[in-house]
Amino acid sequence: MVVVFSLFDADRLPNLARRSGISPTNTMNKEARLKASINQKLTETGERDRLKELLRAKLTECGWKDQMKAQCKDVIKQKGLEHVTVEDLVVEVTPKGRALVPDSVKKELLQRIRAFLTQHAS
Amino acid sequence: MKMEEKPLSGPDNTRLEALIQDVYSELVEDACLGLCFEVHRAVKQGYFFLDETDQDSIKEFEIVDQPGVDIFGQVFNQWKNKECECPNCKRLIAASRFAPHLEKCLGMGRNSSRIANRRLATNNNISKSESDQEDNDDLNDNDWSYGAEKKGENLKINQNSPRRSKSLKHKNGEWLRRVDSVLYNYNAGISYESLGPNEIRSLLTTQCGVISEHTKRMCTRSHRCPQHTDDQRRAIRLFLLGPSVPTLPDADVEGDSFDIPNGQALLSRLQWEDFPDVSPTDSASSKASTNHSDSKRPKKKKRLDLSLNSGGGGVNMTGVSSSSCQSNISLSTKKKKPKTAAPSVSSIYDELN
Repeated sequence: MVVVFSLFDADRLPNLARRSGISPTNTMNKEARLKASINQKLTETGERDRLKELLRAKLTECGWKDQMKAQCKDVIKQKGLEHVTVEDLVVEVTPKGRALVPDSVKKELLQRIRAFLTQHAS
Repeated sequence: MKMEEKPLSGPDNTRLEALIQDVYSELVEDACLGLCFEVHRAVKQGYFFLDETDQDSIKEFEIVDQPGVDIFGQVFNQWKNKECECPNCKRLIAASRFAPHLEKCLGMGRNSSRIANRRLATNNNISKSESDQEDNDDLNDNDWSYGAEKKGENLKINQNSPRRSKSLKHKNGEWLRRVDSVLYNYNAGISYESLGPNEIRSLLTTQCGVISEHTKRMCTRSHRCPQHTDDQRRAIRLFLLGPSVPTLPDADVEGDSFDIPNGQALLSRLQWEDFPDVSPTDSASSKASTNHSDSKRPKKKKRLDLSLNSGGGGVNMTGVSSSSCQSNISLSTKKKKPKTAAPSVSSIYDELN
């Protein structure tokens, strides 16, 4: 859910919120902005790319990639080699992928993200 | 960049954690998507299923996990114990040694000509008879699976063994064989007992010559050989050639010529006191003086000095200048530290002169 504000509204909204108490939209705005800024920071410093590479390497190393490829093979055999689409694969395979990530990898990544955020948050 | 949010701590911890989770799941989804794209492309391009072949091929190239075989199913040293018959000399050679043997046997390859030349040089000096090329090769040949030869400790030399060089038999046989029995093993390097003093001298001028403890052979490397020190080389030369040649060729070599012929004889005489009459080039006077000095010196080492010295003195009669000889001898005696060597040497000289 992305809430889009015009620049004018965004400037004015916090003042209104302070006067009228915290509204759900305001919290959401703040969250959104927070998120946006975090994403921006991640990209700017190159941390996002680093994390991506790290994750990819770890997943390959622990065999997750091969497992996933096996899953894909099943899907392909099911749907037929000629007619399989990206969507098919994504829809079938992504949830399994998310579940199959080993705990160690997950923990390490969360650790790194936390470290980054605590370092770069004011 | 200014962040408007409050510092993330306390009740915001959950927010922080939530954020972290968000970032994480984004990354994971990214990875999954990437994988899907990769697989899809492989499928469409036709290279996705390449690693799956038919069952027969898979069975054939399966990884083997039995003891005694490698993962391809091959036995490790299958050919190690096999013996091959050499087409040249018709002997049975161990498989792993076959190639080097063939090199020497056929006379091709780098080392064989070198060894052959060296052998011819030394054998021509030792005896007049032609050494059979093959016999000499045999001497250096490690491949010959002759059980007795390989052991080598206190080897009783089989007189009829093909390994014995003909040239050796022609030498002054008796004492030489005894020498062999103590200094065994023809297999590698040069065994100095089989060489006459001239050969020893020529070898020592070009080679390191230090006699190794376990094989009793002279080192065939150059003078700069890193395994042996100059002191060792000097000691060997002293031992083999007599105290008048204590120096290496790059140093002074004045007085060596007259001592060498006796070196070999004296060497043998040192080892067996029972055979004083055996040495071929010995002269009567030097023998007498040897016996003289023998009585004075109980220790073998000092007798070595004296007998060599006296040998030098004996040959001195041929008229080479005595001064250089004397100076060399005094040099050597200084090194060896025998106490009364110098006065007795001079007394011998007085006697001879």
